[in-house]
Amino acid sequence: MGQTRATPGQPHGAGCYEIRVEGHLAKRWAGWFDGLKLIRQSDGTTLISGLVEDQAALHGLLQKVRDTGLPLVGVTRVEPDRGTGSTATPREPDNHQRSTP
Amino acid sequence: MPAALLETKLYLPRPRVGLVRRPRLVERLDAASAAKLMLVSAPAGFGKSTLLAEWLAGEPAAPAAARSAAWLQLDRDDNDPTSFWTYLIAALRTVMPELGASELALLASPQPPSIQVVLTTLLNDLGTASGSIVLVLDDYHLIESHEIHDGMAFLLDHLPAHLQLVIASRADPAMPLARLRARGDLIELRAAELRFTPSEAATYLNGAMGLALTPQDVAALEQRTEGWIAALQLAALSIQGRDDVTGFIAGFAGDDRYIVDYLAEEVLQRQPPAVRDFLLQTSILRRLSAPLCDAVTGKTSGRATLEALDRGNLFVVPLDDRRHAYRYHHLFADVLRVRLTDESPELARRLHRRASDWYAENGDPSMAIEHALAGDHFERAADLVELAMPVARRDRQEITLRRWLELLPEEVMAVRPVLSNGYAGCLLTTGVIDGVDRHLRDAERWLDVPLEQRAGTGTTRMVVVDQNEFHRLPAALAVHRAGLALVTGDLSGTVAHAHRALHLIDETSDLLAVDYDLGRGAANALIGLATWTAGDLNSARDGYLGSLESMRRAGHVADLLGCSIALADIQIALGRLRDAERTYDQALQLVADPARPLLRGTADMYVGLSALHRERNDFARARELLAISTTLGENGALPQNRYRQRVVSARIREAEGDLAGAVELLTEAQSVYVGDFSPNVRPVPALRARVWIRQGRVDDVRGWVHERALSVADDLSYLREYEHITLARAVLAQPGTGREAGLGTHDQASELLARLLGAAEAGHREGSVVEILMLQALAYRLRGDLPAALIPLERALRMAEPEGYVRIFVDEGPAMASLLTAAAGEGIAPGYVGGLLAALGGGQDEHVTRPPATEALIDPLSRRELDVLRLLGSDLGGPEIARELVVSLNTVRTHTKNIYAKLGVTNRRAAVRRAGELDLLSRTPGR
Repeated sequence: MGQTRATPGQPHGAGCYEIRVEGHLAKRWAGWFDGLKLIRQSDGTTLISGLVEDQAALHGLLQKVRDTGLPLVGVTRVEPDRGTGSTATPREPDNHQRSTP
Repeated sequence: MPAALLETKLYLPRPRVGLVRRPRLVERLDAASAAKLMLVSAPAGFGKSTLLAEWLAGEPAAPAAARSAAWLQLDRDDNDPTSFWTYLIAALRTVMPELGASELALLASPQPPSIQVVLTTLLNDLGTASGSIVLVLDDYHLIESHEIHDGMAFLLDHLPAHLQLVIASRADPAMPLARLRARGDLIELRAAELRFTPSEAATYLNGAMGLALTPQDVAALEQRTEGWIAALQLAALSIQGRDDVTGFIAGFAGDDRYIVDYLAEEVLQRQPPAVRDFLLQTSILRRLSAPLCDAVTGKTSGRATLEALDRGNLFVVPLDDRRHAYRYHHLFADVLRVRLTDESPELARRLHRRASDWYAENGDPSMAIEHALAGDHFERAADLVELAMPVARRDRQEITLRRWLELLPEEVMAVRPVLSNGYAGCLLTTGVIDGVDRHLRDAERWLDVPLEQRAGTGTTRMVVVDQNEFHRLPAALAVHRAGLALVTGDLSGTVAHAHRALHLIDETSDLLAVDYDLGRGAANALIGLATWTAGDLNSARDGYLGSLESMRRAGHVADLLGCSIALADIQIALGRLRDAERTYDQALQLVADPARPLLRGTADMYVGLSALHRERNDFARARELLAISTTLGENGALPQNRYRQRVVSARIREAEGDLAGAVELLTEAQSVYVGDFSPNVRPVPALRARVWIRQGRVDDVRGWVHERALSVADDLSYLREYEHITLARAVLAQPGTGREAGLGTHDQASELLARLLGAAEAGHREGSVVEILMLQALAYRLRGDLPAALIPLERALRMAEPEGYVRIFVDEGPAMASLLTAAAGEGIAPGYVGGLLAALGGGQDEHVTRPPATEALIDPLSRRELDVLRLLGSDLGGPEIARELVVSLNTVRTHTKNIYAKLGVTNRRAAVRRAGELDLLSRTPGR
């Protein structure tokens, strides 16, 4: 992952994304999803969130979701530095911090 | 083409013993035999492959529906179109061995044709085959290449009824599915149908797996897994031998964890430590074999463990009947790999390294590179890629090569000049310009560093693995520089770099084990291309002659044919018809070896010869040669031959007076036109405009002139010469002084011709000079200045005679006949002129088919009637024609009536057609 600034509307579609899947993923799957942060939600879903370099990288992530067979619930781009994105689910308090290594 | 085909990829899986039979789905597949495409689309672990294996192993519903089944297990490497199509054809050959040999040869050739050409040939072969075939493409979701998707769509559009495609995929393929669905050509099985129904789940758990579960337990499992077969399998495996089954089921039914991960953990926990380690450590492998597993685990129990896993149904899938090769079920392998890299990332790297070493020692450099890259052993991967590069290039695996090189960190490639240069070459051959210059500079940098400093220290040390490639590097860099200059339109730069390359090859030739003939060939061809495009035909000819010589020495006969076409085109432009003929003949001699498979480009030689015989007025031979070219088929032809063949055929028809037929063929030629690097110096639309001029289709001609934005006042360039000569012809064909048509006046046409002549003479393009002189003679004749006309005509005749030109004069019809008669009267080239007049008058030579143009009307049309006739060929109405000719509408009507009577027709359209047949409109109106 590069040092790309994550402002919405960037030419190559870099930004912070939240991918929500059904089922709880163990922490060890973070590596599989390129080191993004995994946050388990109380509704039985998992948020895979963090900085995505560009649209191609995002689609690569979605393919990995597909390959696990986990049903995809949603994909949202979120403001990197502000409190909440647009996903309307309760979340753990610290889930907007940058999680890329 | 992949160096060796992996047979395990073509293995038709056999259904496992004790499988849950799924008649409801098998019946649906059986019933769908009319559909072109069956799509089995569902996530991992839904039993797609298993179902298809069961279906194909069963008896078809009706005996008449007997079918043979071919299977292709795709993987990521198959995104290289050459690899994909090679495997697809190889899969078909497992059931029809007589099929596809020539297609495989085409794919393996150094200049493969477009995939459409290969597929067309394949479809032709399939069309003649008997018996029905089902072709399964498994894991199609791994294919992301648009080129392949397009090819598949083309294949589907033309699929013969006895071939059925089955695609198993985790994602819907990028194909026009809605269209196929609407036409009833598509049958789909999706997750909803594939998942186990409650009764199938019960049959599986209590039947196949021998568990004695209560209906409540089964229902709970079915509900929690939602019929997901992989999850049910894992559940069954973790339940086997457990006492508190109900408690276990209740435990995970209320758990939100990723079910496959959770259950795999349960299964792993229940294995002996040795088996658990084996599963984790070998999870990095794409294919499992005992020796490879032993190399990776460092143990010797590979065979026994694999067999035990097979017996225990622990997610290994056999890849052959001998039980020598397996793979893990993908979903299981992913779960294992995640666990391995999480628990011990360093071990994972080491395991990849061992796998890489094993593959390198066992002759599979590609897999050795894949594992080195997967384990982040970049130096190792770079070494391997450098060594694999010459073969990969030869086998045209540029796409794979590019992917490997792009996975290497920048700093690793930057100190390896052979790799940097190779990467630049990959980019150029895959049509990318961005980054070429930077990587060439990365490589060039090291050539400037004094020898003793190249060793450097640490990360700034130059690394070379392949010494022979390094010796060639200066020249190879210069060739790539020349190629880069060409694609960026820098013609003089192209020539300069290519000359430098040739010089460097000479300088370093004593260092090289083998002479660098390919480099020489490439550099000379680049010189040829650049100077040709710039209109310097003598240099272009010398370039191509040099390139041919090098390719002959290197034994690269396939490239040699393509070069011969370019050379002959240049020789024809130079007015050297006999040299051109020799070029084609020599090329044909080289490929004449009957032991050699038919080479692409052979048919093109016959088409070239045909054009030369047409020029000599020998239509019978010209047609024979075209027929030979057709017999050789697309297998023997370069992609450009499809349009070239139609052009030559059209020009024969035109010369025989079938103008409408010629236009039709030229329109077809334009629709199948494909360019290459050669300049398009005789554009098909210009050829068609010339026929329109003869037909008097003024509006069409005007449309072409405007579309090409041509004007008599244009600056001249070689690339537009043919169009400008055509424009001059169009202007001179206009009635009166030419002013009315708005293209320019006859005087302006004459000025244009004078300028064209100067340019053609300066460029030594004698072929063009002959035509321009001939047109100048016709222009003088139009003005009624016969003595002036004879001066350029005599020059043209003297230049044309030794080369045997005929049609260039004879195509002009009666106007030329009268000029030649006058020339004969002056005693100019009497023998030659006599022959031309005979061809115009027809008769003596039996080969000569007289164009109907010379068929005389009993009552010839007056000049004014010809003017009216010409306008009848336009879309002007009667009053507009009257205005155009500055006469009354009645006068136009009288003329029209007379024209109809003389031509024996009753309407305007027939009159225009008849005029075309009689070639009346190509005659320049007398003044």
